[in-house]
Amino acid sequence: MSRAGVEPSPARGLPPGTPPDRPRRRRRRPAGDIGLNLTSMIDVVFLLLVYFMAATEFRSGEEVYKLDLPERSGAAASDPFELDDEPLRIEVRSRGPVADELSLAGAGITVPGPYPQPMDFRELRTLLEELLVGGARGLFPRDHPVVIDPVGTTRWQHALAAFNAAASAGYENVTFGGRG
Amino acid sequence: MHANLTPMIDVTFLLIVFFVLVSQLVETEHVELDLPVLLRPATEPPGEAPRAVVSIVPGPDGEAAAYRLGGEPFRADESGRRALEAAIAERLRGNPSLRLNLRADRNARYDRVRPVLESIGRAARRVPGAAPRVHLVLVPEDTT
Repeated sequence: MSRAGVEPSPARGLPPGTPPDRPRRRRRRPAGDIGLNLTSMIDVVFLLLVYFMAATEFRSGEEVYKLDLPERSGAAASDPFELDDEPLRIEVRSRGPVADELSLAGAGITVPGPYPQPMDFRELRTLLEELLVGGARGLFPRDHPVVIDPVGTTRWQHALAAFNAAASAGYENVTFGGRG
Repeated sequence: MHANLTPMIDVTFLLIVFFVLVSQLVETEHVELDLPVLLRPATEPPGEAPRAVVSIVPGPDGEAAAYRLGGEPFRADESGRRALEAAIAERLRGNPSLRLNLRADRNARYDRVRPVLESIGRAARRVPGAAPRVHLVLVPEDTT
C-alpha cells in the first residue's frame, strides 16, 4: 500500500453531504498507517484450509463389494428339508496380465450348461440376466448360489469383473470358490 | 506496514505437523497398489462402520510380496498366513461383526488372493459367534 493511496480526506467513509463531525481524531492519525491486520486473516484462511483438507475423504472413489466367505460352514443356518442348490459355477481364466486399467479383454469365461458361451463380461451379465426367473431362460431364483471359479492364474481384475457381472445381473448369493 | 510473522509461522508449522501426521496415517493403512477398475459396478460406498483393511502387497507378475492387516506386515507364506489368521481372529474377538476390506492389485493372481480369503474364513471359524463381512475394494469408473 503506497502512501499516496491513503491520502486523508475529511469526508472519507461518510455519506456525501454529511458534515465531518470528528475531524480531530482523523487528523491525528499519521497518513499511511492504515493497514488491515493480515495475521488474523491468514489464521482464519489456514484454519479453513485445514478444515477442508480434514473433511475431504482421502481414499477417494473407492467402493466395495460385499462378499460371503467362500465355503462357509454355516451349520446353524441350514434347513434339513431344503434341497441344497447346486451352485452355478462360472469359470474365469486370464490369458495374461491386465494391460490397462479398463481393459477386460484377455479373459476366458465358461458357464456350464447348454448356453452360448459368453465372449466377454458384458455377455456374461446378459446371459446371467436371462437365466434369472423372469428372464428369457428363466432358470434360477435370485438367491441361487453363484460361485465365481477363477483358475489360479486368473488376474484379480478379471475375477472381480466376473463377480461384478453376477452381482449386476441381480444374483444375491455370489461367492468366490475355486481351485486357486 | 508489516504483518506480525509469529502467529503465521505458528500456524504454518501446525499445518506441516498436521500433514506429516495424516500422510503417515494414510500410508500405514494403504499399501500402494492398483486396485481393479470396473465400469459402472454394482458396488456401494464403504461407509463408516468399524473395519480392518487386509492388503495384499503386490510382487512381480501377480505374486504376493506380503500381506498387511492395517499397518501390520505379514510374510506371504504359510507361517505368515497363520499369523495373519491369528491377528484377524484377535480383532474379531474385539468386534465379531468387523468388516474386512480386502485390497488386492488388479494384476494379482487369484491363487495368491484366495489363501487370504481362506485365512479370513478360518479366522472367522476360530471365533465363536463371529460374522465378519468381507468387502472387496475396487475403483468404480463412471465414464459412459
